[in-house]
Amino acid sequence: MWIRRASLLALLFFASSLRAELQIEINQGLDNPTPIAVVPFGWQGLGAAPEDVAQIVDSDLVRSGQFAPVSRRDMLSYPTRETEMYFRDWRAISAEYVLIGQVTLGTQIRIDFQLFDTTRQLAIDSGTVTGPVTELRMLSHRVSDAVYERLTGISGAFATRLLYVSVMRNPNAKDFYRLTLADSDGQRPIVLLEGRDPILSPTWSPDGQEVAYVSFETSRPAIYRQNLRTGAREQLTNFQGLNNSPAWSPDGNTMALVLSKDGNPDIYLLNLTSRALTRLTRHFAIDTEPTWMPDGKSLLFTSDRGGRPQIYRYDLRTKKIQRITFEGAFNARARVAQDGRNVALVHQRDGRYHIAVLDLVTDRLTVLTETSLDESPSIAPNGSVVLYATKRGQDSILAAVAVDGGVRFSLPAREGSVQEPAWSPYVTP
Amino acid sequence: MTGVSRKPALFAGFLLVTAALITSAQDYVDVEAERRAEDATRNGAVVTPVAPVIAEPAGSTYSGIRPYSGMTTVAQVPSDVTVSPITGDDSGSMVLRVQQLEADVRRLNGQLEEALEALRLLEAQTLERYVDIDRRLATGNGAGGSTGSSAEAGLLGGALSQTNGSQATMQSSSASPAVDAEAGEEAAYRAAYELVRLKQFDDAVVAFEGFLAEFPFGRYAPNAHYWMGELYLVITPPDPELARQNFKLLLDQYPADAKVPDALYKLGRVQFIKGNRQRSREYLDEVIREYPSHAAAQLARQFLLENF
Repeated sequence: MWIRRASLLALLFFASSLRAELQIEINQGLDNPTPIAVVPFGWQGLGAAPEDVAQIVDSDLVRSGQFAPVSRRDMLSYPTRETEMYFRDWRAISAEYVLIGQVTLGTQIRIDFQLFDTTRQLAIDSGTVTGPVTELRMLSHRVSDAVYERLTGISGAFATRLLYVSVMRNPNAKDFYRLTLADSDGQRPIVLLEGRDPILSPTWSPDGQEVAYVSFETSRPAIYRQNLRTGAREQLTNFQGLNNSPAWSPDGNTMALVLSKDGNPDIYLLNLTSRALTRLTRHFAIDTEPTWMPDGKSLLFTSDRGGRPQIYRYDLRTKKIQRITFEGAFNARARVAQDGRNVALVHQRDGRYHIAVLDLVTDRLTVLTETSLDESPSIAPNGSVVLYATKRGQDSILAAVAVDGGVRFSLPAREGSVQEPAWSPYVTP
Repeated sequence: MTGVSRKPALFAGFLLVTAALITSAQDYVDVEAERRAEDATRNGAVVTPVAPVIAEPAGSTYSGIRPYSGMTTVAQVPSDVTVSPITGDDSGSMVLRVQQLEADVRRLNGQLEEALEALRLLEAQTLERYVDIDRRLATGNGAGGSTGSSAEAGLLGGALSQTNGSQATMQSSSASPAVDAEAGEEAAYRAAYELVRLKQFDDAVVAFEGFLAEFPFGRYAPNAHYWMGELYLVITPPDPELARQNFKLLLDQYPADAKVPDALYKLGRVQFIKGNRQRSREYLDEVIREYPSHAAAQLARQFLLENF
């Protein structure tokens, strides 16, 4: 049953009144961040540049915790092309790398950039990104991705997006829920759904074109999918009891979910084409929070069949279930990195709930956070950062920590609580 | 679960009513009943069923996934489980009972999962430690002496004393003029053995295989089998089954060979690695019994002490 809504446009209108609901605070960076100067980009087009591309790139790199910015006031010149580069200007202010570029507006918008190594005095990378004018911020993030990958060897994940649920508490009425889509830096928030009915478990389709979530708008939980381009929205389940934790398979054809229609919560697979429903687990314990391994051959889920919540793996071929977490009395809500090796999860230690990473190869569990009520981890598509929700005062905020524990930042909301973040996969531009 | 279900199911009546709901708990009900019966016997009390025995539970097939079914034994039920006796057969107490049983099953399931994991880790660690010790011994002794004999003796803790015998033969044969075939065999054996000494274990396996293909009944064939057995334990990944076959072949075809005591000891270890504690124990006992003063017997005693 398709519920078509023209409301996405209306929601976009809503969104324009909001800007950057989330702010970013860097709590901990690397001890020796690399100094990089991002010079203001040149602009060729009518009027003023719609965005300060260099500022966007600069913020991205700083947010990674691995780079130290060079203030524009300290820069001795503002080159925008190679012929204007004087390396002594940059060595004088100890910038190891310099990024320059220019933005050209035609039928589309184009960013040309060049990265220089001031020690070796040569250009080490250059590139061009083009796209529609409205996507200028996303194009800027793609420049950040290129620079980050050139300097760290790891793919950047700046040109990606986040989903999150914010809750406005209202002492006199029901809470107000809002499902928001934003750029990875929290900018350009777009409200996908809002209302007084709870919204839970937002998740991405593997191609990044759709999202799924649980909404209580029919007064009981049901799973919906929503196309981000067309706004088309479809209710996928309407079973008695829980309809929870949707998780798209890597090939996009199947959705794992939790239903309690047959008694207590178990994991089911819903074929998105044929609508056939297959029951995976059958246990009087609670089986929930399914998530796919990147190869699509097995799923991880949380179950208390061992007395306490632990993570289990269900092998789709052999139908065997194997417990994978053994450290601690509580391990739940696993999310697997794209490499299929690191599993982010909620781990209880000394009565406090932390985000931890389990290495499936070495079986080593590393606790990443020091806060005490951390939940809902979501791994960046490049596998380097875990985004999660934690408590600050009365409110829930989003925070992020590098998988190696080196870098932390938080993204508090301007108002209300933010919870259940879901980091998008890479989206083909 | 056969060991459990041969006893009459005390609560079969209830189970029949709700077979669909709690089929999975049946075996555990029996475990509980049996355990309490045992407790009662131990305390000298007369065993009295607290509920009428009606029939064996029907429809006991559990269609779900139960990863460790068949491995729970009565002995593993902890004695601190408190079981409140059922006094009525009303549905309220039964629901309570089912909940209690489910909680128990979950707890036991968790304990079993953890025990199996601990066992898996322990097995892996044992193998690692063993390989590590072997390598370290090889390094230590290899540095001390340049002759094949000392290095060979070093690689395996177990081969220690006994190698002297075969080594003496090798040395004497190389000292005295030998026929061409024998010289060729010895050269091939030494070449293969050199790879062991250089810790090129994968290459050594190939070399010994080649050696055995060329000189299947040669003077060094038993030694070659012994080394193949050793090598299959130290290559990555180890192949305990091929190791076992080579040691066994040595025992069967060369029962009088000087390496037999070591092969027996190694078979004990291999069986242990493979999880066959019974077979492992038999081999270890045999070394101790048959070659009490041999170094391998000492190693076997040590191994028994540490692992049994």
